[in-house]
Amino acid sequence: MRSETGFDPYLYQRFPTQEERPPEEEEGLRRIWCAPKGWEYLTVVNNNYVGIFYLGTAFLFFLLAGVLALLMRVQLAAPLMEVLPQATYNQVFTMHGTVMMFLFAVPMVEAAGVLLLPQMLAARDLPFPRLSAYAFWAYAVGGLAFFASLFVGLAPDGGWFMYPPYTSKAYSPGINADFWLLGIGFIEISAIAGAIEIIVGVLRTRAPGMSLDKMPIFAWAMLVFAVMIIIAFPSVILATLLLEIERAFNWSFFDAARGGDPVLWQHLFWFFGHPEVYIIFLPAAGMMSMIIPTVARTELVGYRLIVLAMIATGFISFGVWAHHMFTVGLPPMTTGFFSAASMAVSLPAGIQVFSWIATLAIGRPRFNAPGLFVLGSIVIFVTGGLTGVMVALVPFDWQAHDTYFIVAHLHYVLIGGMVFPLFAAMYYWIPMVSSRAMSERLAKWVFGLMFTGMNVAFMPMHLAGLMGMPRRVYTYLPGSGWDMLNLISTVGAFLFAFGVLLFLIDLARNFRMAPGGGNAGNVYGAGSLEWLPTELYSTRSIPVVKSREPLWDDPKISDDVEQGRYFLPRSATGLRETIVTSPLLAEPQYVQIMPGPSVWPLVAAIFTAFFFLALTVQAYMFGLASGVITVMAMLRWLSETDRPIAQDEVDIGAGIMVPTYMTGPRSHGWWAMVILMIVMAMISAMAMFGLAFLWSNQPGFWTPPASLGGGIPIALGYGLVVAAAVSCRWLHRMGKNWAVAPVLLAGLAAPLLTWLDIRMWSAVLAPDASGQGAAVFAILSLQGTVAAIGVLFAAYLGWRSLRGLITPTGNSTLDLACLFIGYCGAQGLVGTIFTRAVGA
Amino acid sequence: MKSWLILLGGFIVWTVHFFGLYLIAEFAPSATLVIALTILCIIADLWLLRWLRAMACSEAFAQWRRSVGMAGAVLSLLAVLWQGLPVMLA
Repeated sequence: MRSETGFDPYLYQRFPTQEERPPEEEEGLRRIWCAPKGWEYLTVVNNNYVGIFYLGTAFLFFLLAGVLALLMRVQLAAPLMEVLPQATYNQVFTMHGTVMMFLFAVPMVEAAGVLLLPQMLAARDLPFPRLSAYAFWAYAVGGLAFFASLFVGLAPDGGWFMYPPYTSKAYSPGINADFWLLGIGFIEISAIAGAIEIIVGVLRTRAPGMSLDKMPIFAWAMLVFAVMIIIAFPSVILATLLLEIERAFNWSFFDAARGGDPVLWQHLFWFFGHPEVYIIFLPAAGMMSMIIPTVARTELVGYRLIVLAMIATGFISFGVWAHHMFTVGLPPMTTGFFSAASMAVSLPAGIQVFSWIATLAIGRPRFNAPGLFVLGSIVIFVTGGLTGVMVALVPFDWQAHDTYFIVAHLHYVLIGGMVFPLFAAMYYWIPMVSSRAMSERLAKWVFGLMFTGMNVAFMPMHLAGLMGMPRRVYTYLPGSGWDMLNLISTVGAFLFAFGVLLFLIDLARNFRMAPGGGNAGNVYGAGSLEWLPTELYSTRSIPVVKSREPLWDDPKISDDVEQGRYFLPRSATGLRETIVTSPLLAEPQYVQIMPGPSVWPLVAAIFTAFFFLALTVQAYMFGLASGVITVMAMLRWLSETDRPIAQDEVDIGAGIMVPTYMTGPRSHGWWAMVILMIVMAMISAMAMFGLAFLWSNQPGFWTPPASLGGGIPIALGYGLVVAAAVSCRWLHRMGKNWAVAPVLLAGLAAPLLTWLDIRMWSAVLAPDASGQGAAVFAILSLQGTVAAIGVLFAAYLGWRSLRGLITPTGNSTLDLACLFIGYCGAQGLVGTIFTRAVGA
Repeated sequence: MKSWLILLGGFIVWTVHFFGLYLIAEFAPSATLVIALTILCIIADLWLLRWLRAMACSEAFAQWRRSVGMAGAVLSLLAVLWQGLPVMLA
């Protein structure tokens, strides 16, 4: 294989270098990456802190949702109990599901990525530390405010999937449903911000030499996980937007009596909802694949098969969403395809399980704390997987749907596939961030209680479900045969809770955060890079990676890294920096200057949360003000980035010179922008799917669309916006500074074109007239939003240009503005034609 | 880009097949269309396998990339056949 970037791989042979490094280099690194003090903890962006904050907050939500589960189990312990009134019970089960899925599971694995990935990849930090900080604070502030709705009786009560028409204004007139619809908005934003960070981090900040085939399996898992978030989350973003608009403005997306269709919600929700299960499972499976070889003291069996299985899971999980809808009355052909795909998705999961079993079988496994939890996980997850194959069979699903059998199945999958691996991971990696490891003796009790409690709680639910006990009932009559089964489940739930409580006691006794070194060390003898000695700047120098378990294969590597004998043993520019490498072979490309601590991500996050919460309680002026402050804070934080660097090139070790600035498709900023555009394109594509779906299912409500001929000038206008964005970038590189002007004009023209399109459609159709009107105006509104962001980009570009910060070589902002405004034109072009073509 | 095509080729074929099936079933249900699409995707997978088999790979990463790509194409072939079955058997 030729070099990917022109880098000569023989240069790696210069490492480890032999000469002594000056002691002031390490002092310099410590000074640049210094620990925060006092209030500075709020402005910290380093992954060592943000990762721990993130994990702690996500675990707090696990505990809170667990308490809700216990409340439900007490209510159901015997027939006709009156612990929780019916309305409160509805809020409690809705919040339990919502908090576990949105505020615990996804953020928890994202947090694990933020904390572990830089260490595993031997990067100084992830490429957008301020974005990580923003994602965390938006999630923490918004999540706590969202949870607080429970204490004032305003928590959502429509189930975690919020099906209309039950959640429409007619049947849920309060603001409880709005809390869910707007309340998870900031969680979606936070998840997507984290996913962008992870994708760019995994693909562009790996240690030199760590080609894709040498990448830690957890990094592969996080890569697939983050890509899945980028594809899946736009669907739920759109769904929540549409339902909120229907509730607020009476646009009928989901009202069958007015040309909408409630099944559209189910499609949009489950296109996100089912991949969500794998979004949660894959990182946990990645953790398992890291822990098991260490526990078994041997290499992972079938590395490439596991990578394949993870990618396959990522793809196939998008083909199974409708198995949640088998009882809706889908066309028989559709049902057949989804049933087949639902059975097929068990194949990649099976590959991983067999690889784990084979690794344990050929190794010399130790049944220490992580070892016990991985074994427990395999047993529980396989049980859940088997019942999953059962419910993939349509006739069985018709019987089991909406019964406690499904409750049992999903808890076996999620607890076995995510919670047990997470506990294994906490035992395994806590010595990396704490000066003391957890107690092995207590861990055996924790495992015993949790494993027994889990099975005692959920195994009887299979039977209760097969005996006909429906989900989401707040009580039941005596004599139905469910009494004893429910009592046993409640006992099991409390056993599980005692296990978690014991874990908390152990955590309080032993956890002592050690972000600046002094941790308990590699107590399990693992072979991957996160176990190198680290400080707040990560490793002293960034090693050349030659295998998947460098610590096993090169016993001297820790010492060499510590002595600064590899890449970047000092700060070459006097700033925070890391090496950006190529995506396939991880060849060094340039040094990225990383932003330091800042209060602006915190301010932006707080006001993002206020924005959504203000809309929920209909305080529109406060919401508007919060939105403006959010945008201003983000612009302020951006204004400190993309600054000229004194040195064009720096020595990153052994005389290897790389640039300090990169623009265009090779830069990390370009990658992030492309991913953001994929998110926006997915939202737009889902909206167009919604229009086509309504046309197909509600033809009786269709009116002839606006004329295609009338739309052609608008489409041409959008085409010019694209052309201006492309040509501006090209001309500016040729030294034509005036070329910024056309893209500024294009940025301003795009909203004008959207306004013209809205005027044209308004003559034909009103948004509240029918499902068609609602869907068309939703597409136009999305286009308007993208165009408004384009105006912000244009204004920001103009400001930087006036300040002389855009030069022919230092033009990253220009590139990104052109990219976004070009995208805006392309989306407008497609939308203009599509809305007129459907039903013409 | 070529590396990603090799790694993901099989899954891209599967995606085209699956979403093609969904769109056919949702908007224009027709067994003939389903069978035609299934045959096209089987041909695409077989072509992918042949191309990857013939690819010269001397270095470790290239060999790894090819083996993952081939396994993905085989998995895709099975999945395409499997998902075509409900219509072919009906």
